[in-house]
Amino acid sequence: MEKELKVGIGDMKLTRGEGRIITYALGSCIGIAFYDPVIRLGALLHIMLPARFGTDDNNVYKYADTGIRETIHKLTAFGMVKSRTVVKIAGGAKMFEISGNSDFGNIGLHNRDRVRQVFAEEGMRLVAEDTGGTYARTMVLDIATGGVLIRTFGRAEIKL
Amino acid sequence: MKLRYYEDMNLQELDVMKEIGSIGTGHAATALSMMLQKEIRITLPEVSVLGYEEAVNRIGNPEEIVAAVLVKMGGDIDGLMLFLFDLDFANTILEKLMRKGCQEFSELGEIAYSALVEAGNIIICSYINAFTQFVGVDIGLSVPSATINMLGGILTVPIAEYGYETDKLMYINADFVMEGRMLSGWLLMLPDIRSLNDILERLGVAK
Repeated sequence: MEKELKVGIGDMKLTRGEGRIITYALGSCIGIAFYDPVIRLGALLHIMLPARFGTDDNNVYKYADTGIRETIHKLTAFGMVKSRTVVKIAGGAKMFEISGNSDFGNIGLHNRDRVRQVFAEEGMRLVAEDTGGTYARTMVLDIATGGVLIRTFGRAEIKL
Repeated sequence: MKLRYYEDMNLQELDVMKEIGSIGTGHAATALSMMLQKEIRITLPEVSVLGYEEAVNRIGNPEEIVAAVLVKMGGDIDGLMLFLFDLDFANTILEKLMRKGCQEFSELGEIAYSALVEAGNIIICSYINAFTQFVGVDIGLSVPSATINMLGGILTVPIAEYGYETDKLMYINADFVMEGRMLSGWLLMLPDIRSLNDILERLGVAK
């Protein structure tokens, strides 16, 4: 059977060569797929919040800023080259709309903005994204090809 | 001493939350019973402090499609109330109110959907009414917001909302039993940490 790694919330997995990395039901969280096609090295990171500030939480993968930087650090140790690595993201939805409270549930939007900003700072290419909306997404990264599949409820599967 | 995390609650405090939970769910069952004109009993609620993955696994699996009604609490208590239910539960309501269920959630018409949201809202409101009377607080409720989607995505809403404070959810849950059949509805009351401390203090059990 093909290798399949599951990534929980605030977590990251990486692998090389073949297999799939999957993360389920991203709501306001963002799934971030990193892929270096030359050495077929990939990682999937599942962040929940935009930035780690004012907290002593040592779970770096929970936050966009520390999570992305730690993933880059790990991948670099495995031979990733930033300039040839592509990044695809999904998630950042607003699951509930509460009228009269427009601020509620905007965490998905903040997550997405922060993720884009961190990649801009790191000089890495964000080549595809499926973000926003009001629904959850399951994200699958195929390590052999770098392809990303997005599964949702009541919508056709899409390929990033 | 104030609690910093949900998991800091001791057994006595958990018991108190369970007691309040049972008063709330009792009222919610009565409201549902009146709506459906059927006898509905509830099991004794359990109170647990769970991580995200545990909470998802307790209810189902992350990709499972459930209906959810969410109401935001404000006033003396800040937090969220979430009522989750599966297709079977939805059909029980729809068969009574609309005389017609559905095979899948994706077939739901607009009117049926509104009926479910309203049913969820009534259950939440009766829970909160009982709660406010017992604890002696004023709680304002937002208008309900609803979705039918993956369980995992829905539960990330409270997890992200309190993500800077905690990784855990306090989960007060009871099962509804109608005519000997278990209905899978999950009522989750999710006060923020400040409010939880406040509740425990008002009830005289704060450490």
